[in-house]
Amino acid sequence: MTAFDKYLHAVIVRAVDEAREGGSTLVEAHHLLLSIAADQEAVTHQILASVGLDHAGVRDALDREFEHSLSTVGVSLTAYDLPAPSPSAERPKIGASAKLALDRMISSVARKKDLRPPHVLLGVLQAQVGKVPRALARAGIDQAALVARVLQALDDDDGGQ
Amino acid sequence: MVACMPVVENPVPRDPADALAAAVALRRLADQLEDAAVEQAMREGWGWPLVAEALGVTRQAVHKKHAKRLIAAGVKLRRRGDDRV
Repeated sequence: MTAFDKYLHAVIVRAVDEAREGGSTLVEAHHLLLSIAADQEAVTHQILASVGLDHAGVRDALDREFEHSLSTVGVSLTAYDLPAPSPSAERPKIGASAKLALDRMISSVARKKDLRPPHVLLGVLQAQVGKVPRALARAGIDQAALVARVLQALDDDDGGQ
Repeated sequence: MVACMPVVENPVPRDPADALAAAVALRRLADQLEDAAVEQAMREGWGWPLVAEALGVTRQAVHKKHAKRLIAAGVKLRRRGDDRV
């Protein structure tokens, strides 16, 4: 296994846990983002930190997106005070949004062996609609600028090789 | 909108992105509500047939969706033949 394979494997395993803990039967793109944010990989960590994002920050942005989306149809999350359900016993499957993110990651390089950790984040950030862009917007983060930072970091890394 | 209609405080969002995201969020909220409510009912001793009827689904469907999770969570499930609480 290459270093990248190890990283991707760790990200996906953690994303599955994020999905399960969140009571979701599917691993979605935002679970990948949570997982990426929880990883200690230096370059990605630095990119996310440069816009003030860490695991807690991503979680907070996602919660706010959920609350906001419900509020647009007049539903207040604070009106519900049910105990948190026990997490799913089944292993969540990879959902459509996560598949798209991984496909975009692969499409972002000419050869598979060029893949590096920031490409996973890049794949997730290429979504124009859905939970991830909406959550970033709620957190006041310029998604296009964040993508530019990822590309810059990948470029710098190329230069250093 | 017709003038005599009552004021709607929360009309359907005009932006399709908002409306689509709201549908996703409502589905997630409904799932969370169902998970929590089924767990609560089973902890209080409801049986699968009653929970299924309350949800308007078959016993098989509700069992398939929730049994593993509740067993893993240590919820004592009623068996057929138990006295109804």
